[in-house]
Amino acid sequence: MKYKFKDTITSDVMFEAYGKDPKELFENAAEALFSVICKIDKISTKKTEKLEMKSENLEDLMIHWLQGLIAAAEIEELFFSKFNIIEIDDTHVIAEVSGESITPEKGETVVKAITYHEFKLEKIKKGYIVNISLDI
Amino acid sequence: MKDKLKQMDDYEWVIERSARPDMNADGKVIGNKTIIDAMEDDAIKQLTNVTMMPGVVSPVLALPDAHVGYGLPMGAVAAFDKEEGVISSGLCGFDINCGINTIKTNLKADEVKEKIKDLIPALFDAVPCGVGSKGKLRLDPSKLDGVLVDGVRWAVENGYGIKDDLEHLEENGCMEGADPSKISDLARKRGKSQLGTLGAGNHFLEIQTVSDVYDEDTAKRWDVEKDNVLIMLHCGSRGFGHQVASDYLKIQEGAVKKYNIKLPDRQLACAPANSEEGQDYFKAMKCAVNYSFTNRIVMTQWIRETFEKIFKKDWESMGMHTLYGLCHNVVKLEKHKINGEKRELFIHRKGATRSFPGDIALIAGSMGTSSYVLEGTEKAMEITFGSTCHGAGRAMSRHAAIDKFRGEKIKSELAGKGIIAKATSPKVLAEEAPNAYKDVDEVIESVHNAGISKKILRMNPLGVLKG
Repeated sequence: MKYKFKDTITSDVMFEAYGKDPKELFENAAEALFSVICKIDKISTKKTEKLEMKSENLEDLMIHWLQGLIAAAEIEELFFSKFNIIEIDDTHVIAEVSGESITPEKGETVVKAITYHEFKLEKIKKGYIVNISLDI
Repeated sequence: MKDKLKQMDDYEWVIERSARPDMNADGKVIGNKTIIDAMEDDAIKQLTNVTMMPGVVSPVLALPDAHVGYGLPMGAVAAFDKEEGVISSGLCGFDINCGINTIKTNLKADEVKEKIKDLIPALFDAVPCGVGSKGKLRLDPSKLDGVLVDGVRWAVENGYGIKDDLEHLEENGCMEGADPSKISDLARKRGKSQLGTLGAGNHFLEIQTVSDVYDEDTAKRWDVEKDNVLIMLHCGSRGFGHQVASDYLKIQEGAVKKYNIKLPDRQLACAPANSEEGQDYFKAMKCAVNYSFTNRIVMTQWIRETFEKIFKKDWESMGMHTLYGLCHNVVKLEKHKINGEKRELFIHRKGATRSFPGDIALIAGSMGTSSYVLEGTEKAMEITFGSTCHGAGRAMSRHAAIDKFRGEKIKSELAGKGIIAKATSPKVLAEEAPNAYKDVDEVIESVHNAGISKKILRMNPLGVLKG
């Protein structure tokens, strides 16, 4: 399983994403995020953007990564559907993200931001797990 | 936590500072027994988390529409001492100055019902909404500072709205002291194409008819009567405000470490009120407040123009003046009487409405149910730092609502009640299903009988447009 939505926050949306390593974790969390924003299955990969982000540790990098994707999608006016992490370590991520120009009929809802509410990124036996709450 | 609430009277419940270690203030919940019985235990826990913040002034309040949010309950008010307290980007939240404007008309329900099937799609074309919606107003980046500093004054000077609008907005449509030098390039980039857009989620534009007038004299003073049509617009500061909040949440996270502030939840990030991190946020937040005021007035003008096309009359002759416009998520420096002494406090309202004596409080019901217009009271100054509720308040999570309801079915059920609903995505209609919210009538009964605002008007929806 890549991600699972949870029912514990009344106002907004919470999900858990999984990955065998940080690369997969970051890709799956991004996919979960964009499955809220748009009809991700219907989004092609015609346009690709290269993104690079830095932060102080892996936890903050995850928040920054998802927050950066929301901002990039708004500024470039794109819905993203494919996330390819090229390089990642605890403080730095380089990725190619692909999608297509925003069309209202493929939209779902606006995600305002990534919150710290019950945010947790953990290394577990099988890899990594992150809990993310979105402000809708 | 809820078991520690003590009932003070029919509408006031207190959780004393002894309930949990590290509480610096009491918590107070306003609501009748039905509201309290239904309130989530976690919402009360979140309320007590806020009481642990430095310089907090008792009590931290949850209003009857409160429910679990991120960091603090949505539907809360927290006051902090001007010198010893904090200013918190976390408490104010991401949608800075999410709020409501209501436009009056002298049109009667029957006149509008005749045209509603044309009116709703025309409004849908005129007011950009949904995810990724771009404003028709493409702002030259050099003009953005004018919006951030002058708010609705900028709008009026540029042909959106009129001077009369300024007089009917909280803060007259502009919080003074906004400083654009405190805004990141990323926020600017997100802000330039979204002015004049509704957004999505719980943001909406609703055509309503006045079904009940509870106070004829006040309604007359406002030039509103039974059966009049009103237009309610709910939206915020869009990507601009979201980015300002995200930027300062990170900055204030640093401040929490720097000033050794102990917090029970990372989302409650804050900085001492007199610190650079606190003051910079306050100045940046005001930019987002002004952006949002402007956003709503730009759309107000497009709504007026759409009515002109559909009803073939000019908007002035339809009496389409702003009844009032207000903020839900905001930090303000206000004077309040504490134990007989006037003190300056940083009031954080999150999903709450200012309710000073004479203030107009616009309260949105859930989609398909009644909305209300209330008037502020002296009692609100005494017990809720001049605040009242902001809406019905969610009773079910968005995810649960999507599982339980189907957008198309909601749409046809609303049509059965004579309410035309249009949304960019059917999923939004499911998320916002009326049954996913609390009973707004219970919420209003609570704030009215608690005396923190007084019922003046009740409205029923005729048509709704969701992002």
